Amino acid sequence: MTSPRAHEVLYESEATLRLVDHELHELRHASHPDPVRQPGLEDLPAILERANTQILNVLTRLRETRAALQSSAMEKLQSTHDKLKEVTSATEDAAINIMDACDRASQMVDELEAIDTAPEPDRTKAGEIRGTLRDEIFLMMGALQFQDITTQQLNHASSVLVEMEQRLLDVAKLFDANGDASQLTGCTFDAIDQGTFDPNATTHNAEGRQALADEIFTSIKAPAA
Amino acid sequence: MKFLVVDDSATMRRIVVNSLQRIGFTDTVEAGDGQEALAKFDSSVKFVITDWNMPNMSGTEFTKVLRSRPDGAHVPVLMVTARSVKEDILTAMEAGVNNYIVKPFTPAVLKEKIDALLPATAA
Repeated sequence: MTSPRAHEVLYESEATLRLVDHELHELRHASHPDPVRQPGLEDLPAILERANTQILNVLTRLRETRAALQSSAMEKLQSTHDKLKEVTSATEDAAINIMDACDRASQMVDELEAIDTAPEPDRTKAGEIRGTLRDEIFLMMGALQFQDITTQQLNHASSVLVEMEQRLLDVAKLFDANGDASQLTGCTFDAIDQGTFDPNATTHNAEGRQALADEIFTSIKAPAA
Repeated sequence: MKFLVVDDSATMRRIVVNSLQRIGFTDTVEAGDGQEALAKFDSSVKFVITDWNMPNMSGTEFTKVLRSRPDGAHVPVLMVTARSVKEDILTAMEAGVNNYIVKPFTPAVLKEKIDALLPATAA
């Protein structure tokens, strides 16, 4: 998939290269002009001046193309970098939550063991501890939701890499129009189905995002069940 | 009371099913995408919990098709998704979703939304 920005970059690059080609052609023509009139030394300054102007124009267009390519690619890569950092942080948060819950669960098992071995076991307290233990186990399960969200974040990162690869291929083809295009396309990765992930998926601020959903569903009457 | 739980993530399906069991709903059927959900939906399903982003058929597309079926026109549909921008929430609502949970969710939020959508005698 190629974005409109990428198309623009390709268009600019192609236009620039056509301009270069045209100018080279003209310069070649100028060096072998009308056979009746051979250029003299008096023509050289004008030819050089014209060549200089055209080369400057070409360089300007190339700089613009590079800037467009750089800005669109850098933006995407920065966002992908941020997503990958978030994956690391979400994984770590979930691991810490699960470890904390394991520690608390382990303590509760110790307490239950102590109650069991007491001369007069406190069954009421044991029942309460078992209930809390179930809550802790459930909390651990809930913490595993990070897996679904980080999968979406990784799919997003992967889709950006595929897009970058496609852009590089497009640029490579542009500079090697007569080359073997099949060699360039042989290394493409499988594209990720865009429908299977949300590029904005996050584990952050779940309460705030839920509050927004609630507000919308409260202010605009949802369909009756 | 039978729940249909639709999510392409097996982990999420398991979390939702476990959460349902914990609040007393043990009759569940699972599907990995909207197409599979449509195939598994019948009049015995009384509540649908669906993800949004799935292969083959998304949660919103599934809800729209479900709403067009006589047996699915009025079944409560609760969307549980990572998508949380305003436009997405409005799109889900337009598709026919009755309420919306943002991932990651807590069992308390799930219970609150189910309770709000169920008739008083159903649970």
